[in-house]
Order: sequence, then C-alpha cells, then structure tokens
Amino acid sequence: MKTIYTFLVILSFTFYNSHSAQDLDFFEPKSTIGGYGELHYNQVSSGGKESTKTLDFHRFVLFFSHSWTEKWSFKAEVELEHNFVAEGEGELELEQAYVNFHYTDWFGFQAGVILPSVGLINELHEPPTFSSVERPDYNKLIIPTTWFGNGVAFYGYHAGFDYKVSIMEGLDGSGFRAKDGIRNGRQKGYNADASNLLYSARINYLGHPGILIGASLTYNNAKADSSEIPITLFELHTRIRKNNLYIDAEYGNISYSDYEIEKSTGYYVNAGYDVGSIIGTVCKIIPFVMYSNINTAAATITGGNSEREYDNSYWTFGISVLPINEVVFKADYSIVENDLTGNQTKLFNLGVGYMF
Amino acid sequence: MKKYILLFLVMAGVIGANEIKDRTEEIIKITFGDNISTSVEEYFIPLNFKNEIETSCRQKFFKESVYLWRIYKGNELLGYAILDNVYGKSLPITFLVLFNTHGEIARCSIIKYREPYGGAVQNEVWLNQFIGKNYESKFGIGEDVDAISGATISAGSVTTGINKLTLLLKKITG
Repeated sequence: MKTIYTFLVILSFTFYNSHSAQDLDFFEPKSTIGGYGELHYNQVSSGGKESTKTLDFHRFVLFFSHSWTEKWSFKAEVELEHNFVAEGEGELELEQAYVNFHYTDWFGFQAGVILPSVGLINELHEPPTFSSVERPDYNKLIIPTTWFGNGVAFYGYHAGFDYKVSIMEGLDGSGFRAKDGIRNGRQKGYNADASNLLYSARINYLGHPGILIGASLTYNNAKADSSEIPITLFELHTRIRKNNLYIDAEYGNISYSDYEIEKSTGYYVNAGYDVGSIIGTVCKIIPFVMYSNINTAAATITGGNSEREYDNSYWTFGISVLPINEVVFKADYSIVENDLTGNQTKLFNLGVGYMF
Repeated sequence: MKKYILLFLVMAGVIGANEIKDRTEEIIKITFGDNISTSVEEYFIPLNFKNEIETSCRQKFFKESVYLWRIYKGNELLGYAILDNVYGKSLPITFLVLFNTHGEIARCSIIKYREPYGGAVQNEVWLNQFIGKNYESKFGIGEDVDAISGATISAGSVTTGINKLTLLLKKITG
C-alpha cells in the first residue's frame, strides 16, 4: 500500500511540474528595464522681489525588474534628482527594491523597499500621466510623495476592486513641521527606526473603464525625540480618463495627537480636455485648469493666525501636449495666495517628460 | 487524511498542466456555442508579415509563432481564435482574440495575467470595447479605446497586441 502511495505522489508531482506536449507555457525568466524622467524650467516671482529662474532635470528614474518564475520576481526603482549629488545637493534614492510573490490575481506580497499606496501620485507618477509640470503641491505637503521605505505589502485585484495593505517603517515625529506637515518625517529607508511601524490600507475601484476612484487610511504612532505623535491620514482620490476628459481630484486630512498641530488638510481638482480630438490632430493637446487649497496647520493648539499662516490657495492654468502617449511637453502658470499675508507668488513652468 | 491530500495533489497536477489551453477552449465554446469543432495549429508568422506588422504597430511579436484555432459547425467555418502574448511591465500577458469570418473581433479575453500591477486589463467591460473592431480600426488609447488608470503600460500593450492580431488575420485570410 505504502509503495502505491509513494508511486502516486511521485506521479502527481510529475504531472504538476511537467511541461507536457499539451501544455502552453509562455513564461521565461527575464530582466527588464524601464524608466521615466522630467526636465523642468521654473520661474518664481514673489512680491516685489526679482524672479528666480531654474533649469533642472528634476528626476531621472530607472526601473529594473527580474522574474525568476511566474510567481517570484524582483523590482527596483532608482532615482537621481537634480542632475547630480554633492554635499547638500541633489538626491540619489533607492525608492523601490522588493521581492514580489504573485500567488494569484487577488493575493500577492512584496517585501523590501516599498511604496505605500497613498494618494494618486505616490505610485502613479510618470510625467505623461498627469498634466501639470510639477506634481501638485498637495502631493508634497499632504501626501509626502514620493513616500517610500522598508516594509511589506499585500495586494490583490478582484471584480473591479484593487487593494493594497502596507506595513512599513514609521515616520520620525521630530521631523514634523507646520510648513510641510509630515513630509520631513519620512525616514526614506536609511537605517530606519522600526520601533513604531506604519500601517496603511488602500482600496480602489476600477470597474468602469476610464475611471479610478479610491481611498486610503494610514496610521502611525510616530516616534519623536522624547514623545510619540500618533497620526492618522485619510484621503480620497479619483482619476478620470474618458471621452477626452482628463480629471484628477484628491482630498486628504491628517490628524495629529499630542502635538502643536492638530490637523493638516488639503485638496485639488484638475480638469482638462483633449482638444486635439476635436481638431483631429495625432497629438493629444490638453489645456487644463487646477484649483487647490492646502493648509498644513489647519488646526493648531495655539489657534488664531497660526491656522492661517500656512493656508495657501492655488490657481493653475496650463497645457500638456503628447505627440505619443509616452512623451509629454508641458507649460503652466500658477498664482499662489497666502491666506494670512495675502502675498501672491507667481510661477511659470515648462517641462518635458517621458516614460518607457 | 493522506488519501485526500494525495487525491488533491493528483487533481491539482492534472488540472494545472493544461490551464492555458483549457481556458482557451472554454472561451471558444462560450463565444461560438457548444456544437462546434476546432482545429489548432502553431502558426509560424512569415517574416515579411511579421516585420510589416511590427513596424506599423511599434511592437514586436512575442515569438515567431502564435496559436491559431479555426472554429467549425459541421463543415461551416464560424471564425478564428488567435492566442498570443504581450509584455506588461515585465511579465507576459497571455490573451486570446476571437474573430468572425469577416475578420471582426467577436471577443477578447485575458487568459493569464502574471503581473502584480495592472490587473484591471482583465475587466470584461474594458475588453468588450474591442468587439467589432478589425484591421482598419485605430486602437488608440485615449481615442477609440479607454485608458485604465493604474494599468497604463498593460492597457497599452494589450491594445497594441490585439491590433497586431487583427492585421495578422487579414494577412492570413487575405
């Protein structure tokens, strides 16, 4: 009896692992390379001061992956910012580097340097996929994009719903600031303190082609110098690419406990339309308008003017032109007004971006 | 207990081995009905066809061949099905396009999706937009085909992959 069992076990494993003449198998171990990048011209004028003008290859990103089997792969993303790195200048970052196990469509996991799925831009930020030259300030000040760090993530897709749960290194509470919320608290993987982990869960609905809508919740009991600052970040986002409409909108709220800032809040709406489709051009020509309001110190213990000091409203008008879907030329003009001082900053930007 | 584990392994082994072919034949039956017969060949694409289509679509064929089914009811040819692959960000996406005898798409299906991202290309509502298209259709993301946010690369690859097959079928059938 035992011999028969052994024989059947071997036979069943042989069936499982064999590539029989009947089976079709298209997978081959493979490495791939991809990337994106953007060159910017920025002109900033504020009050009566002379304007500053900069030309900068803001981001050069290379994406590598290797697949050992259909289920096991490795993915990495390296970014160089501002052309080069010297003391205090530029940034060279390992923004992603993880082993990926894709068990099935509805369950997989990642371990290594990962991106938590918070907001639209943290994971979907190739220059041709959004219309403004710079990423919206909302994705700097409310969602500290690009937010990356050491951890694990679980993800899956089923029946139009896409989820991702991330557990990773927490934020450094001593880096929180009124002017940019939690942004300066990112540890970026550098010998990260892992005493207080960060937990994030995001769900997206993609059931209607052309429309993405989703939300996420993130919690971290951020360790500061001699205290802890629990933060909760809740955000909503949508991206519509349908009938020549290009609409992005996001709203986010960060609540802090035991800290002088109690709340950071912000949102933006960007609406554009591909007029190239009316004219009949091969290029996509997308004029857009964007409105944003961000207050990184929307509620504070002190109250009064401290709740207006970092309250800024933005109007942006611009155009992006895509000769092919992977290359984009952009121009935009913004007026940013501070609620407390009434000061206006004017920004004129030009950009070239690509992805492959 | 051992008996059941063994039974499970044997079943899993037998089922696992023919996943792609079985799924393809299941979809052919769903599209064309049960009372059909099929013939299948590994069709090696003539080099001149291959080069012309790859250049016009700016995408290479996955291999030198595709799998081509002819679907019959009795002696009557009902249509064709072609199984091919494109690369998503880094892994092959195996897909099937079914055609009527006029070369118009009857159905598109993703047979196997291996990537961690971009799984929304499997959405039937998105795939249904290809029904009725043929070798003269545009296949432009953001034009006659909706994009998928969060699946930019896989949606683009699959759209072009389907386009290539409409052109290939035109070459095969003349």
